[in-house]
Amino acid sequence: MRSPAAAIAWEFRQHHRWGWIALAGYLLVLATVRLLIFEPGQRVEFDDGESVAFVLAVPLTTTFLYFLAVFSYGLAGDLAARQSMYPARMFALPVTTTALAGWPMLYGTVAMALLWLATRLLAAWPSGVDVPMIWPALLAASMLAWLQALTWMPYPLPGLRVIVTVLWLTVIDAIVFTAIEYQAPEGVMLALLAPHLPLAFLVARVAIARARRGDVPDWQGIFGQALKPSSPRFLRRDHFRSPARAQFWFEWRRHGWSLPALVGMVLPFELALLFGFSDTPVIVFETLLAVLLTPPFMAAFAAARVSQSNPHGHDAHGLAPFVSTRPLSSPSLIAAKLTATIWSAFAAWLLVLAAIPLALQFAGALPMVLDRARQGIDIVGTPRAIVIVLLVIAGLMAATWKQLVQGLYIGLTGREWAVKSSVFVTLSFLAVLGPLVHWIIDNGNVQAVLWDAIPSILAVLVGVKMSAAAWIAVRLYDSRLLSDRMLLTGAASWCVAVLALYGVLAWILSVPFLPRYLPALIAILAMPLVRLSAAPLALSWNRHR
Amino acid sequence: MISVSGLSRCFGSRTALDSVSVTMPRGAVYGLVGANGAGKTTLIKHVLGLLRAESGSVRVFGLDPVADPVAVLSRIGYLSEENDLPGWMRLDELLRYSRAFYSSWDDDYAEVLRQSFDLDLAAKIKTLSKGQKARVGLLIALAYRPELLVLDEPSSGLDPIVRRDILGAVMRTIADEGRTVLFSSHLLDEVELVADHVTMISQGRIVLSAPLAAVKQLHGGASLQEIFVAHVGAAAAPPADA
Repeated sequence: MRSPAAAIAWEFRQHHRWGWIALAGYLLVLATVRLLIFEPGQRVEFDDGESVAFVLAVPLTTTFLYFLAVFSYGLAGDLAARQSMYPARMFALPVTTTALAGWPMLYGTVAMALLWLATRLLAAWPSGVDVPMIWPALLAASMLAWLQALTWMPYPLPGLRVIVTVLWLTVIDAIVFTAIEYQAPEGVMLALLAPHLPLAFLVARVAIARARRGDVPDWQGIFGQALKPSSPRFLRRDHFRSPARAQFWFEWRRHGWSLPALVGMVLPFELALLFGFSDTPVIVFETLLAVLLTPPFMAAFAAARVSQSNPHGHDAHGLAPFVSTRPLSSPSLIAAKLTATIWSAFAAWLLVLAAIPLALQFAGALPMVLDRARQGIDIVGTPRAIVIVLLVIAGLMAATWKQLVQGLYIGLTGREWAVKSSVFVTLSFLAVLGPLVHWIIDNGNVQAVLWDAIPSILAVLVGVKMSAAAWIAVRLYDSRLLSDRMLLTGAASWCVAVLALYGVLAWILSVPFLPRYLPALIAILAMPLVRLSAAPLALSWNRHR
Repeated sequence: MISVSGLSRCFGSRTALDSVSVTMPRGAVYGLVGANGAGKTTLIKHVLGLLRAESGSVRVFGLDPVADPVAVLSRIGYLSEENDLPGWMRLDELLRYSRAFYSSWDDDYAEVLRQSFDLDLAAKIKTLSKGQKARVGLLIALAYRPELLVLDEPSSGLDPIVRRDILGAVMRTIADEGRTVLFSSHLLDEVELVADHVTMISQGRIVLSAPLAAVKQLHGGASLQEIFVAHVGAAAAPPADA
């Protein structure tokens, strides 16, 4: 290797060689199918060409996500940290900052363009749709370039990277989809997208220059007084009453404030819409809906911090020796985490529930909202309306907490491959989900089949869940991580919670055509069990390797 | 106090420990010496229960540290080679947090140590120098007068003054009757200074384990460095002073 460009390219190739080999293999299969089986010029008719194209394109959509992670160095860094995700070891190389920013961007741009061309030529053809050639490639490259620039940037607050990146990529997406909606010609699309690459490059260059000279702004001191010392009052004593209290304090201080802080940062922007559109009921209620969904949405990002114990150690996913040598059992360590997440979700919701009436009052939208609420009460009756509102709030709070803890069992394994595989599988699932839902909405027959099969689908899911729970219970019993009494108490508490939820659902959904067992299946599926009970096993596997 | 029997451990294709058997009775200083990668930290992690024995057994205070971590860890003071104290804590918070886990925590002794190490209670851990962090780690490992003090390469990369503090801590612990120190290092002169018993490890195998005085007598009063080279070979011998 005689140049930095070749060295950087070699690292991408060598580090991700198995991914490249898998992609090359798949493209070879597609090319064989396209060029040899369906000969050039031969017209092929599919019953449902769009579905075939969709299935063929799924691995390539997954590859798009993989490329985002590879070329942004996102597989090796901590998304929630303030520090740049650009590998610090490369800052010491005798290479200009322009080269450090430019080469990975160039390679990413070329890879994205080639991926789109491959998708268009080898996977999209069965649909028969004339898919554009240039601008989607430019869109993919622009998304990657901005992701690179924004993930390489140092930030003043932990977690801010995620918010800025998601918001900015959403803005770009929104602009592009608006242009598509108005059937903008190819030239307009190119004009919209072309400036993004040089702009993203300039931002990336600034980001790396700052990171290289160690310029990481820190606003934690500013927010520190307001957020960090806000330990629950009973913890502010000279001595902790028990090791469990001390560990709870540790967990709260380490990540408890993350979710309230994230929600607190987003809320003002959302609620500001009320001031501009207080006379437009649709926008007011859409804003309120967005505000109510903010804590569970943000909890998905805050969850990464909950399971990490060693974010700045050489093994970011492993358990820090400082924590693993605490004389506490693994279930006690988990209990401290769970308690801290309950307080965290509670604090975030306190913020939301205090901010909504204040914003409505000051924006002048409160009378209109109250008027609509009265209309609703007239329809369903006061008791049912109160219960529905309480249930919705409780449900959203529970969903927030669930988002915080449902991934614990993965993060606590401390295995980098498990964490990254789960992220990859989740992103792939989400990438597939959109087109799948679209396909179901467009297909009446499928909808009818699915509607009839709902009880069977739910029953199968319940079967899978209870089998997994039984397996985990046996493992917990064998490993002696939990005492027999704790296992029995846990199982009994879960059954009581399911029965309570079933009672409420049966009361709310008391309509003649709905079978009684349906709310029971929903209650069993809704109540967290498997992933939560797997957390002590995961931590023990991590702690005693 | 520590009983390791037929312990083997592999990481992938590399054998980190190969049928290691060693016994460390109560009330002495055990120097665990070996070159980098010899298996010292792996053995210590098994003693702490951070690694599960693939084959063989580990008993500390007669207990399995994996099956019963609370009973074992509450009697061990540990200074990690990684020195991974939480950077966001202030020293006073770290002391308050740590004391909750140990019923034998001695506030007066902790204060004596803090003053002798010249540590500021209001200082954030992340703002401390490497040497100061090592002193903080030592403080919280000693303040509850543990029955077993485990120091994993405590002097690595530290200046002579901090190394003196660490050796002083070992001396202090020995002064408390019946307490035991397991001290891993590749700095043989330090081990020679404080250890009663020396265990040499090379490529995952114990090549020598005996009282230091007996070992020296057997080798005609040679230095530990010379004895190490004789048993392990010059290639694996650590430098006299890193």
